[in-house]
Amino acid sequence: MKRTLLHAVLLAGAFVSVFPYLLVVLTAFKSQGQLNSTEPWLPGVPPTGANLARILEGDFPRALLNTVLMTAVLTAGQLVFTTFAAYAFARLRFRGREPLFWLYLATMMVPGAVTVIPLFLIMRELGLVNTWWGLLVPFLFGTPYGIFLMRQFFRGLPAGLEEAARIDGAGPLTILLKIMLPLCRPALGTLAIITVISSWNSFLWPLIITSGEDTKVITVAMATLKGGVGVDYNLLMAGGLIALVPMVAIFIFFQRHIVRSVVLTGLK
Amino acid sequence: MSRPATRTAPPVRPVAGARAEKVPATVKGGRRRGDWYAHLFIAPSLFGVVAFLLLPVLIVFGLSLFDWELLSEPRFVGLDNYARLAADGQVWHSLWVTVLFVLLCIPLQTVLALVLALLLNRRIRGVRIYRALFVVPWMATPIVMGLVWHWIFDPRDGALNRALDLVGVTGPAWLSDPTWALPAVALVNVWQHTGYTMLFFLAGLQGIPQEMYDAAATDGATPVQRFFHVTLPLLNPTMFFVSVTSLIGAFQVFDTIFAMTDGGPGHSTEAFNFTIYQTAFKEFDFGYAATLSLLLFVIILLVTLAQVRFFGKRTTYDLS
Repeated sequence: MKRTLLHAVLLAGAFVSVFPYLLVVLTAFKSQGQLNSTEPWLPGVPPTGANLARILEGDFPRALLNTVLMTAVLTAGQLVFTTFAAYAFARLRFRGREPLFWLYLATMMVPGAVTVIPLFLIMRELGLVNTWWGLLVPFLFGTPYGIFLMRQFFRGLPAGLEEAARIDGAGPLTILLKIMLPLCRPALGTLAIITVISSWNSFLWPLIITSGEDTKVITVAMATLKGGVGVDYNLLMAGGLIALVPMVAIFIFFQRHIVRSVVLTGLK
Repeated sequence: MSRPATRTAPPVRPVAGARAEKVPATVKGGRRRGDWYAHLFIAPSLFGVVAFLLLPVLIVFGLSLFDWELLSEPRFVGLDNYARLAADGQVWHSLWVTVLFVLLCIPLQTVLALVLALLLNRRIRGVRIYRALFVVPWMATPIVMGLVWHWIFDPRDGALNRALDLVGVTGPAWLSDPTWALPAVALVNVWQHTGYTMLFFLAGLQGIPQEMYDAAATDGATPVQRFFHVTLPLLNPTMFFVSVTSLIGAFQVFDTIFAMTDGGPGHSTEAFNFTIYQTAFKEFDFGYAATLSLLLFVIILLVTLAQVRFFGKRTTYDLS
């Protein structure tokens, strides 16, 4: 009896979690007529691919491609630059290490909402508004958060790891690439997943810095679909489906890793 | 710890012959060479931190002393923006909306997440699947899900009011009703973040040794007493982390509001970050928008410091 109640509660919660996704899928495959004649939570029979075809005709594929590119570049930048910096902070000794690290920690406290306006003005001064550089460059060099995460990981590796190689004359670059990197694949995976999700979902910065087709990303394209009084929900949900599928795919493939990594990032 | 050691072996061997000559050379110059490499490794990220995090903070400070509409030259106005801020009813209203939003979201989200974590921290069938399903909303693109929820809350055609109709209840107009719009937006925020928060509580719960519960049970503690005297105190570090990060996030809410209400109806959901966006990118009042950003920064900082004090004062237990 108690078990049944527990499962009922959990099922209800799981249903609420998934319901909006379900709605996206159902509506994306309904015709306008079916949308008006059926309840939102019931499927349209027969399903139609017309909405998907319609959304793929416009500027949406381009926005999708742009989002993929943006996500790829930002994730690559984050992984490379963060690894180098975190390794230096964790395992190399150099002048100014401690004060510099404190500086990084302090910048972790700066909310994104505060930097948006000055970032826009900097990009404007550099003539980078509405360009790929403007979209990417502020977030290309790794975040203090990522560096903090990776530094903790590097510090957790055994101390004598580099000694043998160093005695044999290997430089820091060789040590990092040949010895440390293979060991930090789980941490890099975590960082990659977090960066992919946050880049894919990012909205405010692309909204501000881009305006043309060439650099429009999928979140901005979705927001413009909403404009006007009569919203075309079939089209909107078809777009939503396309925007959500990659995230859901990542989730299904890396589900266990994500659950583990969320916990790892928070509590170190 | 033996695995990493064996892994290091292969790359070392090829350079083993260099040992004799290299060692004396690096003893003297090693420090400087190490410095050089370290600086090289740090350089790109340091550039990023200075140019795109520190410089912006300095610019926000400076800009708050100017009147600048982008097209004209910036004009130094001293503390005028601050005086204007103090008298600006719309800004204080927006701040109030933000505080209400935070109060609607965070307690509900935290309690729900903790309850779910407690329910899932036991051996039941399908526990993995439940966990995964609860985290699914966190992955969702906020702007997309904001639009989906906008439709769910539609007064006539939305799933919510249609479902309420079935049970004979006439739902309110939700997003076009000034009373219900903010709670509706807050609910979506709770929907998005509860599962994610739950994961942290689950990790925290799994870090509590069973012996603590056994000892409490031996002393005759009821389940409720065990929760308040064992679980909750030992979850203090998790609670601290969850509380700090979710408050920082909630104070900056933007995407969901942009997608669901555009700040309306009648400014009733216009949270602070949205006001900053409007002031800068709709009214092009950059100096004043910078002043508003600074205010948000200070508020977030104070709220975070308050939590450091609050959670720091409570006893923490070192289990290691």
